[in-house]
Amino acid sequence: MAVEVQPERAEPVSASTKPYFRRMGVHTGLAGAVAGYFLGHWLGNFLSSGYLQNPLSDSNDVPIVLGYALATIGWLLGLGVFNDLFGTMLGRPFPDREAADGAEAGLGKYFRFTLNHKTVGIQYLFGMIGYFLTGGLFAMAIRTELLSPSYHIMGPNQYLMVVGEHGTMMMMMMSSVVLGPFGQYFGPIMIGSKRVAFPRLEALGFWLTPAAFVILLSGILFGGFPTGWTGYEPLATEAKQGMDSFFFAFGLMAVSMTLAGFNMICTVINYRAPGMRWGRLPMFVWSMFSVSFLQVLSAPVLLGACYMALTDRTFQTAFFTNQLGGSSYLYEDLFWFFGHPEVYILALPGFGVISEIVSVFCRKPLFGYRVAAAGMLGVGLLSFFVWQHHLFDSGINPDMRPVFMLTTELISIPTGFIYLVGMGTFWKARIRFSIPMLFALAFYFNFLIGGISGVFLSDVPADVTEHGSFFVMAHFHYTIMGGLIFAFMGGIYYWLPKMLGIKLNETLGKVHFWTMFIFFNSTFLPLFALGLMGMPRRVFEYANNLQTLNDWVSISSYCLGVSMLIFLFNVVMSTLFWRQREAGNPYRARSLEWQVPTPVPPANFERIPVILASPYEYGDPDAPPVADLNPPPGVVSSAYVGASRGEA
Amino acid sequence: MADPTIQAGPGEVPSIAEEDAAFYHQSAVNAAWTGARLALGALTFIFGAFAFSYFYLRSVDSSGRWEGSGYHPPSMVTGTVIMLLVLASAGVHYGVLQRIKAGRKRAWQRGGAITLGLGLAAVGLQITQLATLPFAPGSSGYSSVFTGFYPVFLTSQLAAGVWLESLLARSRFIPEMSFVEQPPTHAEVYRVQRFQSSLSAFSTVWSYLALMSLLFWLLFYVF
Amino acid sequence: MTSGTTGTPAAPPAPGAGGREPRHWLRLFVMWFVLSLAADLITWYVWRPHLPPGDMSTSATGQQFDFAVLAVTGFPVVIAVLLYFAYAIVAWRAGPDDEGDGPPIHGHTKVSVTWIITTSLIVLWAFAFGTFELIVPAGAGSGEGPNPVWNLAGKTSSTWAPGQGDKLQVQVIGQQWAWTFRYPQFGGMESSKLYLPTGTPIEFHVTSLDVIHSFWAYQLGVKADANPGVDDVAYTTVHQKGTFEVRCNELCGIWHGAMYTYGNAVSPARFASWATSVRGKEAKDGLLRALPKYALTYDPTVISAIGKNLPKIDGITGAAGYYYPPSDPVTP
Repeated sequence: MAVEVQPERAEPVSASTKPYFRRMGVHTGLAGAVAGYFLGHWLGNFLSSGYLQNPLSDSNDVPIVLGYALATIGWLLGLGVFNDLFGTMLGRPFPDREAADGAEAGLGKYFRFTLNHKTVGIQYLFGMIGYFLTGGLFAMAIRTELLSPSYHIMGPNQYLMVVGEHGTMMMMMMSSVVLGPFGQYFGPIMIGSKRVAFPRLEALGFWLTPAAFVILLSGILFGGFPTGWTGYEPLATEAKQGMDSFFFAFGLMAVSMTLAGFNMICTVINYRAPGMRWGRLPMFVWSMFSVSFLQVLSAPVLLGACYMALTDRTFQTAFFTNQLGGSSYLYEDLFWFFGHPEVYILALPGFGVISEIVSVFCRKPLFGYRVAAAGMLGVGLLSFFVWQHHLFDSGINPDMRPVFMLTTELISIPTGFIYLVGMGTFWKARIRFSIPMLFALAFYFNFLIGGISGVFLSDVPADVTEHGSFFVMAHFHYTIMGGLIFAFMGGIYYWLPKMLGIKLNETLGKVHFWTMFIFFNSTFLPLFALGLMGMPRRVFEYANNLQTLNDWVSISSYCLGVSMLIFLFNVVMSTLFWRQREAGNPYRARSLEWQVPTPVPPANFERIPVILASPYEYGDPDAPPVADLNPPPGVVSSAYVGASRGEA
Repeated sequence: MADPTIQAGPGEVPSIAEEDAAFYHQSAVNAAWTGARLALGALTFIFGAFAFSYFYLRSVDSSGRWEGSGYHPPSMVTGTVIMLLVLASAGVHYGVLQRIKAGRKRAWQRGGAITLGLGLAAVGLQITQLATLPFAPGSSGYSSVFTGFYPVFLTSQLAAGVWLESLLARSRFIPEMSFVEQPPTHAEVYRVQRFQSSLSAFSTVWSYLALMSLLFWLLFYVF
Repeated sequence: MTSGTTGTPAAPPAPGAGGREPRHWLRLFVMWFVLSLAADLITWYVWRPHLPPGDMSTSATGQQFDFAVLAVTGFPVVIAVLLYFAYAIVAWRAGPDDEGDGPPIHGHTKVSVTWIITTSLIVLWAFAFGTFELIVPAGAGSGEGPNPVWNLAGKTSSTWAPGQGDKLQVQVIGQQWAWTFRYPQFGGMESSKLYLPTGTPIEFHVTSLDVIHSFWAYQLGVKADANPGVDDVAYTTVHQKGTFEVRCNELCGIWHGAMYTYGNAVSPARFASWATSVRGKEAKDGLLRALPKYALTYDPTVISAIGKNLPKIDGITGAAGYYYPPSDPVTP
């Protein structure tokens, strides 16, 4: 991992003119993956046949895990990820391909290991939409099964497979849903940088996601995994081979998250343009910065937990087998030590997107800029100290529960800052109800319900009834789907004109918003009631008297699915057929990404801009422009030594 | 500190391309510093997961099997030799890092080769030890943490070894004079400075790994 | 070339009543106060008796009370935020041709400080209240691990009879995918049915034979994870007769959804006669001799007297005899 920590660059290289299929790309990657899988499988059988078995599940997992591992390596080799590394091992400096990669015409660059952060952003955008819709299909399947109180469509095994695939897909992929597309694309632009610190790590972070996606889905071929997205031990050790796909894919995503966060932090700290002081950093960048710390520090623990679980299943270690000196509590601790920051990895980017949108469409400066930044950092810091609230009833450290109740409730104070900032910005504003603004308002509504239900969950006595029930499920769907995904959608409507130069259809967008908002609430609000009425999570059988509500929820969820189809239709039609151009700065926004031309030039800026003011100075006629995009020679060099160290 | 990267004399204004290059050069040098520290953070958390497992399983002692009946410890001699090799490697590198700072490239290259050799010897010996352990991986809590941790640790050592190898390879193309006095062109200056920033980042990570090796040696062999 | 839009200067304030800016704070406060008061009164007097998990046991009643208190605390907050946004949308929406900017307010220290202090106070109140409600009713029905710090008062003896005021111990054993209940004070007899006496302090000892389960007696407000090899203690006192649901609350494999049963809360006398009769039947079958009174693990190699041919009670159970293969890991 640490290998690539060397940002040396040689002279810029020019774009290759070879046709797509004669260069390395997805096709060679796939070939490498297939070859790698078979090699790994063969090697696993060769090493372990006859003597190594997973005693709890009676299956031999070594060939499968080695197959996954070598398939991933083969995929990356085939994509050409390691080419520059091999070059540098021979003494060649890393080629400076970023601008050339971004300048390449055509769609081919999106199917290749390219280094330009904007290309990576677009790759993430479409990747994430794909992963999200796949996870959504599993959700539809779950709701179909829950139409009746006993099992009717799927068998119990199939049902758990669907539940596990849905939960895992959403939890591992959606952690990158904002940081991936918008963070990678706009983060560097918003800080006035032409490039990122570690473009190879950034691109590698993306190219691990398709591998994780395919590996996770491959679990279906082995009958899925019965543990849901938490993968609790020792059930996971007892499970059949489908379990390997869960741990391997989640571990890969842990690597991907670490790399993405690593690059983001180094970029924000070191690549800010002169004059981009910490106090002028856009709130979106603050949220990316704080999320990145969570990713870099918590995802390695997940990687460790997944690795331990895989060694339990292959080399027969006994980390989580109580009878052999391990502990199932150990897994719960390690998993939730990652798992709770993960929840804020999912929530914080939403805060950032919304802060940007609200300021622009209220035509007012962001209220309490420092409070907002402190809120982001405070949530990030506190989220490392709350994980045991997932284990209130488990019997781990029962006497510590008041402490974790306190930390959990404390986190609502910095979360409240986000509301303070939003509400203050609305005060005497000139509100424009554009589609991004509608999503932002919906975000405040949904996240409020999610947050208040979180206070109920943090209260240990009340949690006795709520823990593990549909109440929890409703709670985190309100924060993740109602918070993060609404912010993501708002971000798409807000930033797509900049990313693709194309505006999504407004009417369809409004239809999409209203159907999504109404049916989201109609799907998840009754789940609070269901949970309080005694329905546990992940069951296919429930009490007869809960059927009416469950049917209501299922039907609403189909409508929510239709709303997603409207969105998909809008994206496909608007980008491929209607192609309504949008150039310039349609919202008259101040922030830096709107000051560069559309489409954004490969190097973002003609030259390094000098930042003159905060991006939120709306309504102040005396405010200077946000940046001097073409400063006279000499200004940058006189400013950069201090600015690049944050002293300006 | 006087900035050596802008070559324009007093009163002259550097060209825009020069200015941008200088700016991003400085950013890259700083990013190497930041990145190394951040990498230590991430590595600490993954090693911390194992240290946590160690203390957790040891204190819980499920079924009385933290060590288990008929427990054989891993060879103290091998473990100590591995740890000393890693420490020696880091020590050698720390020493020769001072040489290259004094402008002596060749001394660093020789020392770097020794560093790499010692590191690889430690990794090789560790693999041998793992292959011939006197206990089964799942025979106790201790055995699980031991067999689980060392593959992760030696993977990170190998990755850092690849890094050192690439530094050694790159150093061949930088004239020794460039380390002694300021080279004539911007490109040369940047090349040397980035090499040095990467080298000092590597040195940080390598020393950190040595420290971890010592800490886990204490956990596994002494306490 | 410089860039960046400088917004047009703020237009004069929207004409309110008589050209003056209306008193937004006052309006908001009045609306908030009325709505919050109504919501809280309705919650407390109308909704509270219907809140889950009912009032069948002390822990359930306690949780119902907690829900109500949290709801009464939460409603004013929710109403304040939603009302504010609703008001803002109505009062400060820009007209169709309005190109102007809002006033350049960058923050307001007094407002921020008030907000922070208020939220902190609410949080500290929730914490103090939650801690009190956790500690005083001895864990509030939640699993407290093997050595509970917050004990339920009452003495424990090796036998139990109605009217003595002793705690009744019940060991709850989860396995894939059934519950077994063992009564150590009745010679360690076990049953697949959970009977509990009313008016008696009850001490559940929850454990598991294989994977993690969670014992959830919904109407009793009791939830405790069943971890293999771990004793998780939870307390409650039932104060109403009737049936309650017992569900597994932690995903435990394919039949997790079907791992439920019903328990009965009966009068102490009726409970004693039921328990005595089951005990007598199991003593006759030879089961009681083979079973330990109380154990966290059921390893057939340890309890050598038990083979697979144990008499099954009620057709399905006998925790020690009902292993599904191969739950016992091979010792390397």
